[in-house]
Amino acid sequence: MSTTASFLDPAEVTRRMQTLNRVMTTKAAIAQTPKELVWTLNKAKLYRYTPVVPSEKRHPVPLLLVFALMNRPYILDLRPGHSFVEFMVKQGYDVYLLDWGVPGIEDKNLKFDDYTLDYLPRAIRKVKSLSGSNEFSLLGWCIGAILTTIYAALRPDDGLRNLLLLTAPLDFSKRDSLTFARWTDEKYFDVDKVLDAFGNMPGEIIDYGAKALKPIENYITNYCKLWDNLDNPLVVQSWHSMNTWVTDNIPMAGGAFRQLIVDFYRNDRLMKGELMFRGERVDLKRLRANLLTVVAQGDHITPPCQSEKIVSRVSSPDAEVYHVPGGHIGIMAGSSAHKRTWPYIDNWLGARSD
Amino acid sequence: MDEDHAESKTFDAFEKFREMRDAYLDATSKTMIDAVNSDAYAQASGAMLESYVTASAPFRAALEKSMIQALEQLSLPSRQEVAALAERFTNVEMRLDDIDGRLDEIVKLCTSLKILANEKQTTDDFTPRKKAKAASVPAKSKGKPSPTSAPSKQAVRKGRR
Repeated sequence: MSTTASFLDPAEVTRRMQTLNRVMTTKAAIAQTPKELVWTLNKAKLYRYTPVVPSEKRHPVPLLLVFALMNRPYILDLRPGHSFVEFMVKQGYDVYLLDWGVPGIEDKNLKFDDYTLDYLPRAIRKVKSLSGSNEFSLLGWCIGAILTTIYAALRPDDGLRNLLLLTAPLDFSKRDSLTFARWTDEKYFDVDKVLDAFGNMPGEIIDYGAKALKPIENYITNYCKLWDNLDNPLVVQSWHSMNTWVTDNIPMAGGAFRQLIVDFYRNDRLMKGELMFRGERVDLKRLRANLLTVVAQGDHITPPCQSEKIVSRVSSPDAEVYHVPGGHIGIMAGSSAHKRTWPYIDNWLGARSD
Repeated sequence: MDEDHAESKTFDAFEKFREMRDAYLDATSKTMIDAVNSDAYAQASGAMLESYVTASAPFRAALEKSMIQALEQLSLPSRQEVAALAERFTNVEMRLDDIDGRLDEIVKLCTSLKILANEKQTTDDFTPRKKAKAASVPAKSKGKPSPTSAPSKQAVRKGRR
């Protein structure tokens, strides 16, 4: 923390301004864990991380990570020494990451149906083929948790052994607790008109929506924290990499965005058992895989009430809810993630991956 | 007293300012969170987006129309045509991926068949004479081959003819 003297020293002030300029105008080195591109389909890419543990000591069941559609997945591999992927690879998992890519205007009709029934099963087939295992684990975060849950319910016999859900927005029944539900209510928000204009939902609008939930924290306090700690390289490095991720916005395919608003936020079709994908009803009772749902207690994007009910709706004999202090992103990428969330996930998954 | 401790005791005029600032931001934050979580805010933000979309619609339509005309004049495909082509590419990619998946299965099946065949070969190498002897003995003694016994070389040749 800077002192009065440092504020009055011109050299110190210049140095601080240079640091500030650097972190605000450049991108941090992110996603450094060695990986190989093993499969592609349209914009989607499947990466396999290079194992660092000998094969005989590795868990035989591979792990596939599925992140949200409207953000970059490298939050799971933020920076060396602070990467969930790096941690899991070191714990002996065969880790794969599905990157949905950036949808173009030609993808504006892509829906959850397509991601769940066209992309995900094919990526899983590749994971199984490369790993040589008929069983696999899925980890879905945010919208990725919706996709993996639906997949697990629609294809329960595909070999899914473990399903991990992080801050999963699955239950939309408590509309009063959901700010997004209020904003996207049909009285105020004409989703068809917006998508007719843009095609895909622009990343900037989605980003504004996420930040506007806590405007002071995101637009002021965040920068004050950086200013106060400009002489602390660790804080600056951490802020820089997180800022790189936060400002790297991508649009969401129009069809999927419309579905998110209409089927999920407005009508809660998944929990009501009314969600239909290509004529097939998504019945959560068909989900039998071992289930761990991680809930962030301070999550303002996906409040805990959205993720807790799932365990009582599935048929999994082994289902658990784990509450972690922290926010939507902080529980996995925050400074205490490596002490709390990651080891818990490793212990839970490790016991079920051999 | 060490140097660090001495420094921490140094008067910092900004410390009080920071405390005040943080307290103010905390209080404002709570107010703002309540404000954005209201129907009034939802209505206002919805109206803003709506007015932008409505106001920009004629310009977008005019731009699109003139762009299509210009591209047509230049014998170039429009955005919609390129998008349709991209969709078809994705379909082709999916079919290729399915073929790739089936090839994987065939290779896997062939490998397991090869392993089985090798195993059978190894077992046959260890037990052929005993089996042949056992099969030929009753055929010789009774004058006609049993249905389970291996056909003689002559019978095979006859069959081929």
